[in-house]
Amino acid sequence: MTTIDDTAAPSTAKPGARPGGKPKGPRFLVVQGTLPYRGLQLGAVLLVALLLLWASGLPAFRMGQITNVFIIAIAIAGLNLVTGYTGLLSIGHSAFFGLGAYTTGILIVKYEFAPLSTIPVAIGLCFVLGLLVGLPSLRIHGLYLALVTLAVAVSFPEIVRRAEELTGGAAGMVVRSRFLAPPEWTGLVRAERGIWMFWFSAAVLAVVMLLCRNLVRSRFGIAMRATRDNEIAAAANGISVARTKIVAFGISGAITGLAGSLFTMYMGALSPDGSFTLLKSIEFITGLVLGGVATQIGPLVGAFAVVFLPYLTASYTEGPLAGVVFGIVLIVIVFLMPEGIVGRVGILARKVVHIVPADHPRLGRADREGPPEPARAEQ
Amino acid sequence: MAADGALLTLRDVTIGFGGVTALDAVGFDVQPGQILGLIGPNGAGKTTLFNCITRIYQPNSGDIRWQGEDLLRVPAHHLPKLGIARTFQNLALFGGMSVFDNTMSGGSSQARIGATSGLVGWPPSRSRTKKLRAKAWELLERLDLVALADAPAAGLPFGTLKRVELARALMAEPKLLLLDEPAGGLTHSEVKALGELIVSLRDDYGFAALLVEHHMGLVLGISDHVVALDFGNKIFEGSPEQVKHDPAVIAAYLGRAA
Ligand SMILES: Nc1ncnc2c1ncn2[C@@H]1O[C@H](COP(=O)(O)OP(=O)(O)OP(=O)(O)O)[C@@H](O)[C@H]1O
Ligand SMILES: [Mg+2]
Repeated sequence: MTTIDDTAAPSTAKPGARPGGKPKGPRFLVVQGTLPYRGLQLGAVLLVALLLLWASGLPAFRMGQITNVFIIAIAIAGLNLVTGYTGLLSIGHSAFFGLGAYTTGILIVKYEFAPLSTIPVAIGLCFVLGLLVGLPSLRIHGLYLALVTLAVAVSFPEIVRRAEELTGGAAGMVVRSRFLAPPEWTGLVRAERGIWMFWFSAAVLAVVMLLCRNLVRSRFGIAMRATRDNEIAAAANGISVARTKIVAFGISGAITGLAGSLFTMYMGALSPDGSFTLLKSIEFITGLVLGGVATQIGPLVGAFAVVFLPYLTASYTEGPLAGVVFGIVLIVIVFLMPEGIVGRVGILARKVVHIVPADHPRLGRADREGPPEPARAEQ
Repeated sequence: MAADGALLTLRDVTIGFGGVTALDAVGFDVQPGQILGLIGPNGAGKTTLFNCITRIYQPNSGDIRWQGEDLLRVPAHHLPKLGIARTFQNLALFGGMSVFDNTMSGGSSQARIGATSGLVGWPPSRSRTKKLRAKAWELLERLDLVALADAPAAGLPFGTLKRVELARALMAEPKLLLLDEPAGGLTHSEVKALGELIVSLRDDYGFAALLVEHHMGLVLGISDHVVALDFGNKIFEGSPEQVKHDPAVIAAYLGRAA
């Protein structure tokens, strides 16, 4: 009955025209797990490595900006899980970012933790906060849920201001740079913190993107997307909508909290009105939409956009007009590419290359009836 | 009262919406492996009955049992695990997902879905996924959907999506399959092919089916047993042969047509 034909799997990539000669289909088929597929993957990794090496030679200011991009990208990757893949709009992710940041700051300053050892604590606390914020999603939906997350976002800076003893209140908190020196095993000195944070953020981002990719493709990922698209049908197919939403919120919060933790190490100074207000949440959402909702690389591209676009528009115009130009650029991008930059590129790429899963039943057949149709919703 | 060996037992199921009594003390049994045709004019309460069985609606009174177990205490998402799967009259697919992923989602009850194992790509969970994927491909082949496996569900024709829903429901390896107008959107010859497909699937997988359909040729052709509803009341229960000559059923259809 089962029609997987293993004999065909190894190394049979099939470049060339589609059988049947339909003009519209993709021109290249690449089978997952085959040599050409691995080649493409390796090529992508090499390209990224080269880009990173190039960026690490940039002036300190630029490198710092790119570190910031990586950190924002991690935060947006977290948001993407709950808003992009599970369909729960969160305006509260600045609070996860802030909780992660303050957890790391407080542990270093008050309890003399090494920076790296604060990360698990920050992740854990943000995971729990995520579960809690996810709880109302069982009863309330859509914009009403967004209002709850809005309340979380608005109350976070207020709580930080009140908890003065721990957080330094409105005056903020400074983490002295001697606490933030690169770990000894790196061989870097204290003045080279910028280099350390650049590579460290890049590595964490890579791990986060890999984990998100695993998750989204897993059966839990299917449950997340099913819950997003139709809750009644998801339940009828055996998916616990409640568990899916809450766990997705927890993981999402944990990842954005991790970004906050890195942010403290990067900045060395925290204040409630600086980076943890509603504006930060809006920045994350903007980045997610620009990069591509429910895409795997969208968060990174979106982070580049939200960090660099304001600079770009400011360099061509002056004064308050820059904000207006930035707004216009946003509108134009969203108008031209409602699926986001990565979403759009993905649609174009699939016209040229078509990735086929290795267990596709028509792969090994002599009577190959032609490959599956193109077009994928996401990934 | 106790129906020996019945899969599903409905007794006095009653539900109303405002002034409308959508179901009024409806009761019957579904036996293992049986195809039970559920007919009735528009608004008779057929879909409402499905929604009561699948825990979308809570009946005002009555009793719904699954192999003796009280279904009215079971949450909706546990039904596939018990062996109950359904399709929807007006489609309830996951529009943003591919046909393949839609089908895979039907296997959600077949093995534990772990978030942690999903994150790290844990090998045991991968091998479970591999088995389910093989099953999904098998069903897509069977339902002639392989060529569309990669296409997003949103945008495909209604009749095709009905087959996707069928594939998704079969992923749960159901003992009872609830089909709400599976022939919707099909042409005359396609309806005939669908009838044969349902029977052959039943023969291979051994499920019982509760089949709601307006297409009388299809229902009477493949059902082992027929129940007719009208205005929420059961007006007939018997063989497909008998229902053709039943005055109450004829009156219900003619009365509504006038
Ligand atoms: N959620 C609801 N709220 C209010 N009334 C409802 C609801 N669901 C069903 N009804 C009513 O219950 C009655 C039965 O509807 P139902 O959809 O079960 O009919 P049906 O037999 O499936 O009809 P059709 O053949 O047209 O699909 C109708 O009068 C309908 O308006
Ligand atoms: Mg109906």
